[in-house]
Parts: sequence; structure tokens; C-alpha cells
Amino acid sequence: MSSVRCVALCRFFFQGDQTIKALDHVDLEIDEREFVCLSGPSGSGKTTLLNAIGGLDKPTSGEVWVAGKRIDTLGKSELANMRLHQIGFVFQAYNLIPVLTARENIEFVMQVQGVDPEQRRRRSMSILGEVGMDDMEDRRPAQLSGGQQQRVAVARAIVSKPAMVLADEPTANLDSVTAEHLMDLFVRLNETHDTTFVISTHDQRVMSYARRLIGMVDGRIVTDEAH
Amino acid sequence: MTPMPGAVLFRLAWRNLWRNYRRTIIMLAAITLGVWAMLFMTAVMRGMVDDMVQTAVRSLPGHVQIHHPEYRDDPSIANSMPPPDQMLLDALAQAGVVAWAGRVRVPAVITSERDTRGTTLVGIDPEAETGLSFVSDDIVEGRFLGSPDDKGLVVGRKMIDDLETRLGRRVVVMSQDPDNEIVDRGFRIVGVYEANLENLEEAFVFTGRRYAQSMLNMDESISEIAVLGKSYRDVSDLSHLKQLEGSAREVLPWYELDAYLGTMLSTMDGFVLVWIIVVFLTLSFGLVNTLVMAVFERIREIGLMQALGMRPSMILIQVLLETFLLLAVGLAAGNLLAVVSVAALSDGIDLSIVSEAMQWMGVADVLYPALEIRDLVTTNVVVIVLGLLAGLSPAWRASRYQPVEALTKV
Amino acid sequence: MRVDNITLSLAWRNLWRHPRRTWLTVGAMVFSNILLVFMISLQFGMYRVMYDNSLSLITGHLQVQAEGYIDEPRMRSTVPAAGGLANALRQAMPANNVAVRAMAFALVSSAERSLGVQVVGVQPSYEPDVSNLPGLVKQGRFLKASDERAAVIGSSLSRNLKVGLGDELTLFGSGRDGSFAAGIANVVGIFESGSNDIDRSFMQIPLTEFQEVFFMGDQGHSIVVMTPDLFELEPAMSTIRSIVDADGLVVHDWDELQPGLRQSVQADMASAWFMYAVLIVLVAFSVLNTQLMSVLDRTREFGIVMALGLAPIRLGRLVFLETGIMAGLGLLLGVAAGSAVVSWFGFHGFTYPGLEEMSARFNLPGRIYPSASFASLIWGPSVVFLACLAAAIYPAAKLLRLQPVAAMRAA
Repeated sequence: MSSVRCVALCRFFFQGDQTIKALDHVDLEIDEREFVCLSGPSGSGKTTLLNAIGGLDKPTSGEVWVAGKRIDTLGKSELANMRLHQIGFVFQAYNLIPVLTARENIEFVMQVQGVDPEQRRRRSMSILGEVGMDDMEDRRPAQLSGGQQQRVAVARAIVSKPAMVLADEPTANLDSVTAEHLMDLFVRLNETHDTTFVISTHDQRVMSYARRLIGMVDGRIVTDEAH
Repeated sequence: MTPMPGAVLFRLAWRNLWRNYRRTIIMLAAITLGVWAMLFMTAVMRGMVDDMVQTAVRSLPGHVQIHHPEYRDDPSIANSMPPPDQMLLDALAQAGVVAWAGRVRVPAVITSERDTRGTTLVGIDPEAETGLSFVSDDIVEGRFLGSPDDKGLVVGRKMIDDLETRLGRRVVVMSQDPDNEIVDRGFRIVGVYEANLENLEEAFVFTGRRYAQSMLNMDESISEIAVLGKSYRDVSDLSHLKQLEGSAREVLPWYELDAYLGTMLSTMDGFVLVWIIVVFLTLSFGLVNTLVMAVFERIREIGLMQALGMRPSMILIQVLLETFLLLAVGLAAGNLLAVVSVAALSDGIDLSIVSEAMQWMGVADVLYPALEIRDLVTTNVVVIVLGLLAGLSPAWRASRYQPVEALTKV
Repeated sequence: MRVDNITLSLAWRNLWRHPRRTWLTVGAMVFSNILLVFMISLQFGMYRVMYDNSLSLITGHLQVQAEGYIDEPRMRSTVPAAGGLANALRQAMPANNVAVRAMAFALVSSAERSLGVQVVGVQPSYEPDVSNLPGLVKQGRFLKASDERAAVIGSSLSRNLKVGLGDELTLFGSGRDGSFAAGIANVVGIFESGSNDIDRSFMQIPLTEFQEVFFMGDQGHSIVVMTPDLFELEPAMSTIRSIVDADGLVVHDWDELQPGLRQSVQADMASAWFMYAVLIVLVAFSVLNTQLMSVLDRTREFGIVMALGLAPIRLGRLVFLETGIMAGLGLLLGVAAGSAVVSWFGFHGFTYPGLEEMSARFNLPGRIYPSASFASLIWGPSVVFLACLAAAIYPAAKLLRLQPVAAMRAA
């Protein structure tokens, strides 16, 4: 079964009398456990595609299927529920809730899911170890570096074992060493947890990690090749 | 449906509250001041009305009064009633009755060798009056009456000054008997009382009940029976007396006897509510503003939480929870301040600079603020309910943001 | 404070960057201003009625009395040759109304009842000029100069005595010298003043009759004067003092005659001002909050303009100007809406359940008409305006301590 399927997916923005085609009839299928990179210049529609897959945004037309279920027709609460249980998000920046500590941020999703405290703690501590942050559990986001914040964000995205992680330019604000560590982490998680990864980027080094590289220009998929 | 993650919502709300501590503290100061003002003002007014009612109740009517049906309209000797029969005596012996006394009470004119005044002659059973009316406790010169047969006269301080007479002197009291014959009798002044209101000191002169009955040729008849219950606020303990009402007698609670005070007491409840709401509305603008700002600053975060799978309803609840915490802390401080300030004024507020006005309104010039439980409850409930209603609009807006727009907000 | 056009338009535009926040802050001002304008106008309206009603019934604006009569109203504390003195006053002060009165307690008996009553001797031709009681006669008529053995009594008194027009009453009391006094009077009129005390225990008879019954000769107890303006008594008082030079006579103004009145107004004002002060401080808090947030929001922006060379004092001025514009809007809208509310109630009157019962005790009507004046409309809103400007001091002062570099780095 495919993890993601998009059929003739369009997302238009209207600015005055101009129509911006952020996604223009995109057809795409991503299988489970794939490690996909979306590349392309800014404005090519990478983020819009990720948002549509994650149910953060409503397409103008076309279909989005996630884990065999059509999601573009769902309501806000159902979408929230789908994200809660099936998708992990990592954004470019401002990934963490500032008033919660690193561990509380990681436990946040589990708490909303209703996981009991003991299991929460066990899982958050083990994932913190996995991303190499075990001694920083009680720090607030403001006390962490950009790379550390991103690692916490990644830990939070995978802690409840979602089927898929969507990462939007996760390395954009990081130096190259930290970016490499983060990508290594993604690859490892992809292999050990069987999680599907869809990562948007315009960073060449990130693309080199991809096993499938999708190139986008002006809202269309122009290349799609195994790597 | 996933359960509501109460703990994390609570933690988020509490920490968010203190994120912009300056704003929160200013808002808390405003809520505290507002709540204090609601409670303090109410306590002062309750204290004033309390005092008016208690003074009025002590100045003879009691909590419930029994008299001839015509007596209220025409308080003359012609409208007196026979002494209590066995049925009435039984009713008066029941548990709700703390004290009762039968009295003769007629309009009269009192004359000294110097001057003449109009007053009311009251014939009492001295023992029964203890605790029921003010005279027995407030003798400042001479003695109180000893028995229903006492031939002495107890008068007010103001009256004795008006008449330019003094303790031990004789005065003449004139009134009418049931046949409208003028009767007059000489009395020796044996005691002087003081009351907290000057005009009360002119309003009544007291003698023994039986002596008054013989002077007025009225045999054993009396004008009224005053009954004291446990509290003036709630006279339901005395409701069994109402069943004894008939063509020969009328039974009325104090608030019907004194319509002014009765209205005053019920109007007070309305006024308290209006005052609380007005103060709250003044506060509410700042409250809504604070919440709007708090939400506006956090739009990104709200988008993030939505992306992480938080349902809109939970975001609504989170903002309401934050509103609730803000109100609760403000209420706690305001309640505390009100309790402390009322306790600090337990010796009373001295209003002697406007004592004439206080006399005019029937209030003593020392005011004891009275913070009542029901006013505390009303205030807290009104503030919480209206406060959450005020928080509903920012909370609703917060829950309606589109995740993508919220996430891209700078 | 010097303000140029750029600062002004900058302040104006800054306010509308957050229209919701600005309107909520202005809304708080408008709300409290409407309330203040209405309440203060209502108070003024009520006080005027209070003064008029309580003074014009009995007290008048001034009274000439024997020294000490005010504290201890005794029969023998009299004003000698009162009628002549009153005539002299009338000639000296044509704009004022003057009448003589004498007072005594008496036991008044009808065929069925006897009650203690305050008997007042009045001059039938002059009394209507100093009191509105003659105008409140609801049955029969007021006394005439030609009347003999006539009396007007209060409605409750007539009920209690069980008498009507034409019925005879007997008076027993003591005369000026303490001797036994007795007289007869027929009821010619019954008044309803609205005041329980007066309706229950007041009886008026012609002064000449009173002087005869109570052995008063040509004496009275007070000369009542109604002046054109109850707050401008000094001219009348000095004229009276120059005419009344006899020893033992004094002039009292209404404040001395009825000290409860002014104090009641003061007590009422004090409690009203407590409430107003609370509302005003709450509005000030709201402004403080808004302006502090608006300053903190713009820290980075302020840092940049300071780095460009703008003096911090000018930024402080900007904050005051923004506050001033909001407070000005609040003032204008508040006074406008408040005036509308006041004029509506000024026409229809204002009442609430229970007011009528309570006012009756103070001889007030059951409906209050707010009285709009420049003062009553502008007083409250002006104080709100100043309080709001005062609330901007702290946010503005924060700007003076701003370091440009640190400010630019602020998030």
C-alpha cells in the first residue's frame, strides 16, 4: 500500500487578478518506508505540497490520500486527529512550544494522544537518548541552540511512531556539520523505525541523502528519479 | 475521540499566563482592584442597611408584630386587642420565638413645667423587653422599670433636654381613653435612656404596662405584641404565627411594617448585582484586550500545535483555561484584600462628620461593613461566568486560525 | 508639548496598526464616560430636587429666630414684634419673600380621637410665598386672612383624627408662660405633602389665632425668608442683620436649619466618588496595559529610529500623543453618547424598582430627571482623560531608558 497518493493535485492562490499556481496538477505516489527529497527553487511548491499531504492546507482541486484514506475532504478535527496519530512534522524553525521544556515538548503529542505518564516518560527519555539530547531534557527552547532545537523537534516528530515524517527545509537554519548530523539521524530513523520521510530542501548536501529525488518547478513535478 | 489532556493544557495555560508577566500583573492588579471594590462597596452598603434594619427592629416592632387589623392605619387606643389567649401563648412558646412582649402603645402629649412635646407612651413588661427593644440596655441615668406595675416614667435624653426637666422631676402625660375622654396623669421620671438615633430619644416614653392600662381605662387590653426570632433576615421560623391571623388580629413581619426598609433591603440586592456588573464591564475591555494580545502573539504556536494534531476545540479550551486562571488569581487576591480590609475596619468607619445626614437616613454614625457569604459567592460567580464569556471571542478566534496561515505568520 | 505634523500622523497611523486593540481601549473609556456622564447628571438632578423639596416645604432659605431656638425650640424663645419686623424686611428686600411663623405642641382632639400635634401659626397672606405646603392642599382650601378658628391639617392626621372638612378640633397645650392653653379650630383644608411626618403631625392655623391661644402677644418663633437663589444668601443675610439689630435674634441659613441636607448630599457624593474613582482607575489600568504592550511590541522599531538619531524624548512624546488621541476619542464619543443618554432620561425620567418607596421617605419623587449641564457632562470624562494620560507615563518613561543596540536586537 502506498503511503501517500496525490491525484491531479492543484493549489492556487489568488492575489488581486493574478493566479499563482503553487501546485499545478501534481500526480505523486510515495510508498511506505521511502526516503524522499523534494527539491526545487523557492516558490516551486515544495512547502505547499508538504502542507497538502499533512492536511494543513486544503487543495483547490484534486485528491490527497494518506495511508489509503482520502484526506482532502476531511474536517479540521479529523485532520488534526490524522496528524496526531499518523504524521510527524519538522519545520524550518520555531518548531517548539516555548513554554515547555525539551522533554515536555516531546511528550506533548503523547499527552494529547492520551498516553499514560509512565509510558510517556519512558519513551521520551529513550528518544532523547536516540537523538543525543539526554542531558538536556529540562531546558526550555530558548536555552537550546538551533541544532539542538531541531533534534528535539525530530524526536517529537517520531516519538509516537508515526507512519510518516514531513520535514520542511529542516536544515535551512543550521550549519553544515549540524545539518549532516540531522540527516544522519533521519536516515537512521528511516531504517530502524520503518518511517516514511518526505523532506523538502534546496540544499545539495541534503539531496545527496535521498533515495528518491523529486524535482519541482512552478508547481509541477519535473524530475522523479531513484538515487 | 481522544480524551482531553487536562494536565498539559493546564500547564500550558499557566506558563503562558506568566510569559508576558508585565501584562499579566497589570491585568491582575486591575481584576484585584475591581473585585476588592465590588466586595468592599457591597460590604459598606450591607453594613449600612444592616444597621438601619437593626435600629428599626430594636426601636420596637420586633421581627414580627401582632396587632389589631386597624392598628397600623390608626394607631390609637380604640384599636387595641385583648391579651394573648392560650392558642397564641402556645404559638409564642414554640422554638422559633426567641423573645416576645405585649405592649400598650398610644400617642400622647408630655408636659413639664417648661414645655410640651408630642410623643408615644409605651406601657411595657420590663422583663419581657430585655433583648427585644433598646430601652432596657440603654439606661444612662436612674433606673429601668421594675415591673408591669411600675408607676415611674423612663424618657429619652433628648426629651428630657427638650422639656428642660431632669431625673426625679414630675411631668404630666396626656392621652385619651377608649371613649375619647382626655386622661392625664402625673409621672415621676425614674430613668433616662440614650439611643443611637436622636429622634428615637423623643419618640417614646415608657412606663409599666399595668399602670398604663389603668391610666387609659383599657383593662387588660394591649396594643401590640412584638416577637423576636433568630434573625431579621429570615423570619420563616416565625411563620407559624401567621396562621393565627384573623379578624381580631394582624401578623406582620418587619419588612411589611416598614415598607421603606423592606424595599431598601430588596433594592440592595439589585444594586449589588448592578455594581458588580458595571465594575466587571469596565474591566472586561482590558481583559479582552489582554487575551487578544496573548493570542495574537502566539499565532505561530497555535499553528504548530494544530500541525502536531491538536484539535481546534482543545485550542479553544486552552485559551479559556488561561482566562480562567487569570480570573481565579485576580479573584483570590481581590477576595483576600476585601476580607482583610473589612476585618481591619471591624471597629467601624467613623462617619461623624456627616452624622446629621446619617441621622436623617436612620443610620448611626459608625458604620460596620458586613461582608456576607452570599455577596462573596455572587461576586465570584459573576466574575468567572462573565469573564469566561469575555474570553470566548479571543478563544474562538484562536481555534479558527488556518494552520498554514498561522504557521507563516511573523 | 510641541507636536509637528509628522509625529501626529505617525501617532495616528500607529494606533490603527492594531485597530482591535485601540478600539477596545477607547471602548473602555467610552463605556466609563457614558456611565459617569449619566450618573453625575442624575446626581445633580436628584440633589436639586432634594434641595427644593426639603427646603420649600417648611424650612425656607433663611430664618430669623431667637438665639438658641434652633437647638432647643422652646415656647418662650420668641421673636418680639414679629409682624412688624417682617414688614420691615419686606420693604428692605422686595425680591425676597418673608413670612412669620409660631410653633407649639398641643393635644388635638376630635370627637373620637386625641393626638399630639405640631401646631404652626402662619400668616395666611404671606405663607404661600415661602412654602409650597399651601399649594399641596388637596381638599378644601388654604387659610385666608379673614379666617377665624380655621385650620389646615395633614391627610394622615385627618384620617387618624377621623375628621373631614368643617369638623371641629380642640387644642390643649401650654402657652408661652407655661399656663394652660386651649382653643378651637374648624378644618378648612387638608394637605398631602408626600412627607409622612408632616402629613401625620402638622396643623396650621392663622398666626393671630395662634398668638391668642398660646398667649404670644405680637411675638413669633421665626421669620422665614425665601431668597431668589439658595446658593447666594450673603446679600440677604447682611441686609437682614442690618435691620434685625435687637439683642438675642440671629439669622440662620438653610444649612444650619437642616444640617442633614447638605451632609446627605456630601455623603452621597463621597460614596459616588468612591465608585467613580474605581471605574476611572480600572480604565487607566487598561490604558497602561495597552500602551506598555504597544511600546514593547515596537522595541526593535524604536531602536532603529533611535539609531537613526531620533531623541528618546520624541519617542516618549509620541507615546503620549497616541494616548492623547485615544483618550480624546474616548472623551468625544463618551460625552456625545452620554449626552444622548442623559437627554433621553431627562425627557422620560429615570426610575428603578423600589425607588419610589424609598424616595417617599425623603419626600422625593419616584422618578429622577438627570440634569445636564456643562459641568455634569464634562467633569467625569475630563478626569478619565487625565487619568489615561497619567497611565502613559510609565510606558513613555521606559522609552527614555532604551539602549538602541539592545533594542534592535530584541525579538
